[in-house]
Order: sequence, then structure tokens, then C-alpha cells
Amino acid sequence: MMSTLTTNMDFHPYSVVHPLDDGPEQKCGTEDLGRMEITRSVKISLLVLRGYLLLMMGMLAYHVLNLTGILH
Amino acid sequence: MSTLLAPTQKEPKAIQVRSRWAKNLLTFLMVFGPGLIVMEADNDAGAVSTYVQAGSQYGLHLLWLLVVLLPVTYFIQEMVARLGIATGKGHAAMIYERFGAWWGRFSLLDLLLVNFLTLITEFAAISLALRQFGISPYIAVPASAMALIALVTTGSYRRWERIVIALCLLDLTWFGMAYATYPVWHHVVRNTLVPSLPATGVDGSYIFLVIAIVGTTIAPWQLFFQQSCVAEKRLRFADLKWARLDTFVGATFTVVVAGAMMLIGDYGLRHGVKFQDPAQLAAALAPIGGEFLRRGLLMMMVNAAVLGTTAISLASAWAYGEVQGWPHSLHKKVSEAPSFYAVYVVCVAAAAAIVLVPKLPLQLVIVTVQVLAGLMLPSAIIFLQLLLNDHALLGDRWVNRPWNNWVNWTIIVVLFALSLLLAMQVIVPKLFA
Repeated sequence: MMSTLTTNMDFHPYSVVHPLDDGPEQKCGTEDLGRMEITRSVKISLLVLRGYLLLMMGMLAYHVLNLTGILH
Repeated sequence: MSTLLAPTQKEPKAIQVRSRWAKNLLTFLMVFGPGLIVMEADNDAGAVSTYVQAGSQYGLHLLWLLVVLLPVTYFIQEMVARLGIATGKGHAAMIYERFGAWWGRFSLLDLLLVNFLTLITEFAAISLALRQFGISPYIAVPASAMALIALVTTGSYRRWERIVIALCLLDLTWFGMAYATYPVWHHVVRNTLVPSLPATGVDGSYIFLVIAIVGTTIAPWQLFFQQSCVAEKRLRFADLKWARLDTFVGATFTVVVAGAMMLIGDYGLRHGVKFQDPAQLAAALAPIGGEFLRRGLLMMMVNAAVLGTTAISLASAWAYGEVQGWPHSLHKKVSEAPSFYAVYVVCVAAAAAIVLVPKLPLQLVIVTVQVLAGLMLPSAIIFLQLLLNDHALLGDRWVNRPWNNWVNWTIIVVLFALSLLLAMQVIVPKLFA
């Protein structure tokens, strides 16, 4: 009876390992992939981004020129 | 991995538990960290200033915005966590590898610059707050910088994470401080759940503050930080659901803390307190709200700046190390990853040194941070969205689902518009006059 109880008490069916103590797992690698394929949506997204950055740079240039008094 | 094992199987350093519930709880606690840290560090010194100002100008009328921002910030950071788990690499490395050197360098340089300028504002806050305790900036700032450097140079990610989580939990103090301002709770609940306008109506200042809160709650460095942190912690595919919960808990905690900051600002408004920064508010509140409010606000300002500094500096160091191909890990000793630690130390030390320069044009720094963040956030988030639709990289399992894309593209369009408006407000203020 006692031995059965001890066995049940020791029965721990689940095991948890901290990520840092676990072995490495195969990740989605970028090796041999190279650059991302330029699909239509990627192309449009990057174009919009370039346009946005140019607009911001233009505003920044305007601000700097304004501060220096060249535009007055 | 935290998988079901037969009773006889034992893994090294594995913890055996008896129930599935205990297994889930323990796994969550082991995964817990990056999501909370990234969110809570986002409540940095600049955020404290913004939220307190929002409360002091518009009372409780901007609480609803925090509820709107909760899912937005969660959706963005969930993508980052998913990408980090799937690839085991940081955001800077992924942009560099998948979009080429030009976009990689642009993202990195913009990140480093905006992060560095933000660090200056963090040390400025430390200086302002500790000066109220009678500590000279020439002692407070170098001492803080040395403590922040010591925090990461122990060669242990776990030690760093535990200390930083403890600092995050110190933010619970905000709730005590908010309670001490005797808010009218049914007004708080109503303004949180139902958007309402201030008596003055919607003016340029209100719109600017709305944009500033959005910009404060969703910052570019967060994308880089959480993905690198997830990779650093070596989270596994099976950990994704717990990483999502960690991110959600972090987002919720952060938003509620931000609400507490607004309540303190509202307390200042109710008592007609005028201030330039939260340190002045703390001093002004002492005769009204007592020493607890004064000391609490000052200490929490320092805590916010410390959390922001360690996270932002690490985001820079990880990103630079990833792109340069250097060893870049908190698991390594200083001698094993000297360049990685050098970037962190240079960021912290240089920002601290600049704050000690007399008559520093801090307002210019803050304006530049806002403009650069306006440049940075839309580009970083576009790359994130494209990477999460990269079937060649992630396969079908980890890419965004169609509903993910609808939600995320909507968020991106709104963020683009708000970032543009913020930059226009800063650069061409006459447009809003």
C-alpha cells in the first residue's frame, strides 16, 4: 500500500524545459534564399515607402531652408 | 522542448510536473519576459511626459485612445515575436538579408540615430528627477550610466531579464499613485469605454497630442528589440502561444499604467498645476497630494528612463551586431563579444555625457526624435509586414493569415498618415496654424 502511494506521488508525466536549456531546433533559414522576390505587392509597398521618405526629406529640407532664412 | 514525455524519460535540467495545468503555467513563466519588457520599456521617460501632459491638458478625455491602441500594439508586436521565433534572427538581420544592403543600412542608421537621441531624453529625465532629491546631475547621470552598463555586462541573459522584469513590476506603483489622486472612478470607466471630446473641442493641440500618444505607444525600436530578444532567448515554435500571451499581458499592463499616468496628470489639472516636465509636476503636487505622490512620481520617472535606456541601447547593439555579423549576445562575456558590448556602452556613455553639457538644446533633440521616428516607424513596419508574407522564408505555417493582413495593412495606413501628420506638424507648423 505504502509503495503504491509513493509511486503515485512520484508520477510526474509532464516535463518542462527552459528555452535556454533546450537543444537547438531547425528554424526557417535564409541561406540560399537571397533577396525577396519582388512581387507586385512588394513592388508597390517599396514604391510607396520611397515616395513617403522623399516627401519627408523634402519637408525636412524646406524646414532647414526656412530656418536659415533662404526662403524669406 | 516542453513536450509530453513518458515518465521514464528525463531531460537534463527538465522540471517534472504532475498536471497539464502546472506544465502550462511553468512553460508560460519560462517564456515570459520579452513581451512584458518591450511593452513596459516603451513607457519610458518620454512616454511619462506625454501621458501626464495628456491628463493635465485634457483630463480623462484621452483615456479611450489607450483602449484603441491596445490591440494595435499587440498585433504589431505579435508579428515581431512570430518572426523572431520562426527565424531565430533579429529584425535588422532579416531586413538586410531579404531586402538588400541599401534598405538594411538605411533601417540600421535611422534606428541607431533615433535611439541615440531618445537615450539623451532618458538621461535628461534621470537628471531632472534626481535633482529634485538634491542629487547633482554630475553624480546622478554617471552613476545611472554605470549601473546600466553593469546590468548587461554580467554575461547572463537570464540575470538581465530577471532584473528588468523586477523593474517592470515596480511600475505597479503607478496604480497606487493613481489611487492616491482620488479619481472619480465612474468618470474614469466612462471615459475609457466611450470616446469623449474635451470642452474646448478638437483643436490642433488635441490632434497633436493624439498623434504623440500613438507615436509614444508604438515606437520603431520596439520591433527591433522584441525580435532580437526572442531570438536571444531561443524561443521555440511550441512557445509561440506563450510568447503571444506574454505580449498581450505586456500590452495590457502598459496601457493600464499609461492610464494611471493620465490620472495623475488629471489630478494636476483639477488643482490648476502648471508644469513643463513631470519632475516639476511632482514638486507642485507635494503640498496637495503629499510626499508619496512626489517621491513616487520622481522615482517612477527614473525607473521609466532606466527601463527605456537598457531596452533601447540593447535594440541598437543587437541590430548593429546582427548586420555586422559580430557575436551579439548577452549570453557571452564581454571578452567574447567585445564589439556588441562596445556599441551598448558607447550609446549609454555618450548619451549620458551629452546630457551633462550645459545649456543642451533638449527641445531640438525631442523634435528631431519625433521627425526621425516618423521616418523610421512606417518603413520598419512595412518591412515587417512584407516579411510576414514571405512564403519562401516562412512557409505557409508562419506567414500572416488573410485577416492578419487586413488588420495590419489598416494599421499601417493609419500609422503612415499619423507619422506624416506628426512630421508635418513639427517641420511645417504653419500648416496647422
